[in-house]
Parts: sequence; C-alpha cells; structure tokens
Amino acid sequence: MASRYDRAITVFSPDGHLFQVEYAQEAVKKGSTAVGIRGTDIVVLGVEKKSVAKLQDERTVRKICALDDHVCMAFAGLTADARVVINRARVECQSHKLTVEDPVTVEYITRFIATLKQKYTQSNGRRPFGISALIVGFDDDGIPRLYQTDPSGTYHAWKANAIGRSAKTVREFLEKNYTEDAIANDNEAIKLAIRALLEVVQSGGKNVELAIIRRNQPLKMFSAKEIELQVAEIEKEKEEAEKKKSKKTT
Amino acid sequence: MAATFFGEVVKAPCRAGTEDQEEEEDERRETAEDREVRRQLARKREVRLFRRQTKTSLEVSLLEKYPCSKFIIAIGNNAVAFLSSFVMNSGVWEEVGCAKLWNEWCRTTDTVHLSPTDAFCVFYHLKSNPSVLLCQCSCYVAEDQQYQWLDKVFGSCPRRNMQVTVLTCRHVTDYKTAESTSSLHSPFLKALKTENFKEPPCCSLLEQPNIVHDLPAAVLSYCQVWKIPAILYLCYTDVMKLDLITVGAFKPVLSSRSLKGLVKNIPQSTEILKKLMTTNEIQSNIYT
Repeated sequence: MASRYDRAITVFSPDGHLFQVEYAQEAVKKGSTAVGIRGTDIVVLGVEKKSVAKLQDERTVRKICALDDHVCMAFAGLTADARVVINRARVECQSHKLTVEDPVTVEYITRFIATLKQKYTQSNGRRPFGISALIVGFDDDGIPRLYQTDPSGTYHAWKANAIGRSAKTVREFLEKNYTEDAIANDNEAIKLAIRALLEVVQSGGKNVELAIIRRNQPLKMFSAKEIELQVAEIEKEKEEAEKKKSKKTT
Repeated sequence: MAATFFGEVVKAPCRAGTEDQEEEEDERRETAEDREVRRQLARKREVRLFRRQTKTSLEVSLLEKYPCSKFIIAIGNNAVAFLSSFVMNSGVWEEVGCAKLWNEWCRTTDTVHLSPTDAFCVFYHLKSNPSVLLCQCSCYVAEDQQYQWLDKVFGSCPRRNMQVTVLTCRHVTDYKTAESTSSLHSPFLKALKTENFKEPPCCSLLEQPNIVHDLPAAVLSYCQVWKIPAILYLCYTDVMKLDLITVGAFKPVLSSRSLKGLVKNIPQSTEILKKLMTTNEIQSNIYT
C-alpha cells in the first residue's frame, strides 16, 4: 500500500499517513547522535563527532551551530538541509533583533524553524527537510530552554532529549538518570550529557563534541582536552561505584 | 503506455488487437543472436565453487567433499562481522572453498576481477574439528543464482544429521507489526526454524505476516524440504551498514548449541570488532 502513496508529499494514504514525512524521520536516524540537557543554570549539547577524512578541514564539519549569541542548535540528518535551515534561522534572528530591538526567544526561533519545516511538508514539488534539531539557549528572563523539532514541523520543549542514530537508547538512559541530583550543578549536567553519549558512541570520548551555554554567557565549545578530563572523571566514578558494589556483595 | 496522475509512465496492456498478427510472431521468434546473448548472460551469472589456493573448481558439492555436523552461515556484513570477531578469533579456521558469483548488485561490470566482498562466499572449517563448517557471505545472491548456490554447496542429496544455523540482518522498516514502529527497540533478534529443529531458539520466533527473503529464505526452504534441522536468526536493525550495536544484537546466539563450544574469548572479540569498524568506515558527507 505504501508504494502508491509515498511518491507525492501532498498525498495522504487511506490510513492517514504522510509517507514522505515518515521517511524523512528515517533520514534523521542516519545522522550521528546528538543529546541536549537542560540544567538549572546551564544548557548542554553533546554530539557524536563524525569521522573526518584525513584531508578534510575539521572545522567545516560541525554538528553544533550558534544561531545567535544566546541560542545554539545541534542537528541530525542531511547535512545540506541543515545548512539551509541554519542559515534561514540566523537571518531571522538578526532580522528580529533589528526590527523589534530584542533578541529572539528560544521558543520564537524554534517555532520559526518548525514552521519552515512544516511548509515543506505541504508544498507540491518539494520534499521535507531531513533533519531534526535540538535548540538550546537562555531567554531574557534567565530561564534555560531546550526544544526539539522534527521533519514534520512539530516542536516540543524537553528537559533532556536525543536525536539521530541510537536516539532511543540514549533517551532511555536519560529517563533513568535525569534526576534533580544529576543536574544539581553545571558540572553534573555536563557529565550526564557525556555519559549519555558514551552509551552509544563507538570509540569513546575522542569522538564526542560538547557545547554549553551558561546564563548571560556566550556559547562555549569544549576542547578535546576538556572532554578527555570529563571522560576520565566519569570513568573514575564508574570504577569507584563498581568497587563499592563488589564490597557490598562480599 | 499510459501516464498516471503523478506523471509517471506505466506500461498498460493494449486491448486493441493488432492487425498484422504474422509480423508479431516473427518478432517473437528467438533469433540466434538472442540465444547467444542469453547464453552469455547465463555464463556471467554462473555460481562457481572453487579452492582459492589451487584455483581448481570443486567437482562435487561442498558438503559432499566436507561433510559436517554443524554448518553456520552468515549472510550480510553485520552477520559476517559477528562471526569474524566472536567465532573465528578462537581456534584455527582453514578455508576450504569459496563461491564466486556476479550479478547486477556487484559494483563492477568486470566479471573476472571481482573483489572478495563483492562476489565471494567463503567457506571455512575448524582445523581441530573439521565437522564444523562456516560460511561468510557478504555478497548478494540474486534469485536466479540461489538454486545454483544451494546445489553447489548442499548438493542434490544432503545428509540429515547436521544442524544449520543462518545469521542475517534486515531493515526494521520491513518488520510488520500492530505496534507502532517508534516503540520497537531495534536492533532485535527473531528466529525462524525448520520442523526438524527441536532445540529452543535463543530469541522469540518471527511472527506472521513477516517473511524471510533472499538467500536465508532459500537455505531454510531447502532445509525444510530435506528435513534438515535449521534455524535462522534474523536481526532487525535500523542501521544496515556495519554497526557495533547491530552486531552486538547477535550475542544471544552465542549461547546456542551450535556456537557454544566455539566461542572462547569474548573481551578480545569486542576489540576485534571495534577494529573491524574503524577499518571499514566509509567516509560520507551526506548525513551528519
């Protein structure tokens, strides 16, 4: 049945599916994992770094992009689609600032991106954007925000979420481990993001990229060394927890 | 020819009778050229079984030459990686033959110089216990070649006192279920066995209306007809290329009777698997 209704984006199947939109969700799963965590005073974005070819300039292969000084996003899916969406969002951020003399709220820019994506699910001759995005930032009121959009054009606020390959595994890890203690301070929130990624990243800490935004501070990208330090701390804590466990059983 | 609503052109049968029936019959008669083209195509698509070291082809079927009690077949790159890292790292495995075949799925039109991954199924047996036979098949065996493959490997009169285990992968979107696909925890394992396979499988059985396709289906059908105990472990995954988590999904099979005695060093296997991943990583910029 699917093959008769999946050729045109504007055609519903008899049971109410828009197959092209659903297939776009599959394209998102082909991108590497991205995780977003909303802490009390910090928002964290962690991504599985794509392996870069030897002769490729690493700086041009980025999954985390700033949309404005106080908002940034990570995406999973088709690289080219992401570039187009990010460019439009960046232009909108500046246009908003010049028109209304206020920076965008995280919700505003998320809604803009989601509306853009939805337009492409209802237009003949175009296909949906094959990306999901995690948008994080702080509003003027100082409250941290995390939103997720998907190819259908829906957006929701989350406390913590993951997109891309193995997103389900990471989300289940977050559901178990996202507690008030886990996000008690900034460092704990960062460690939670890294631990969530390490569940599915195939070659450990060196393939993880991390970015944080603290209240009233610009986006900070972690260097490889800083991530290594965090990973080392996490492994130490893991060892200590295992030692305690074995002591209890003996 | 007719155009549909979406602008695609489909071949529609013409109900109007043709006036010149004779001309048509002439066209339908096969010319010598047609026969030659068909012969060449058949030769191109032949499945050849031979020994790589000696470059001699096997005169009898593989199982006639190397009778076995356990036959483990891995079809697809994830299943092959699983056997390579978990089973073949312990013990010494000797190559006893390989099946070379070409079809449209091969990435080259040259039928002579084919790369091993494109067109080979390699067969090994355990040196310390030659009754254990293993097949690593990472190429695609087309429908018209499956019978030839079975004939050259199993032969026309196979023994019944062997157990066949097949491992393969399929994309999770092929899995039909009443549940929503977003609630499926892929990768997951399903089993399908022949009537004569009496052991309990290592995972739940494949439910209807799901079916098995390609070479694994051909092997299972063959075993069912010849009353050979056989089981297929099918991993439904959303990552068809070589992936650590998909390969890991086969781990429950290690506790099955066929594989139990063969697996010795699991931590080392994980290391070998990680190495396989990094060497086989294809660089692509389409998805980030």
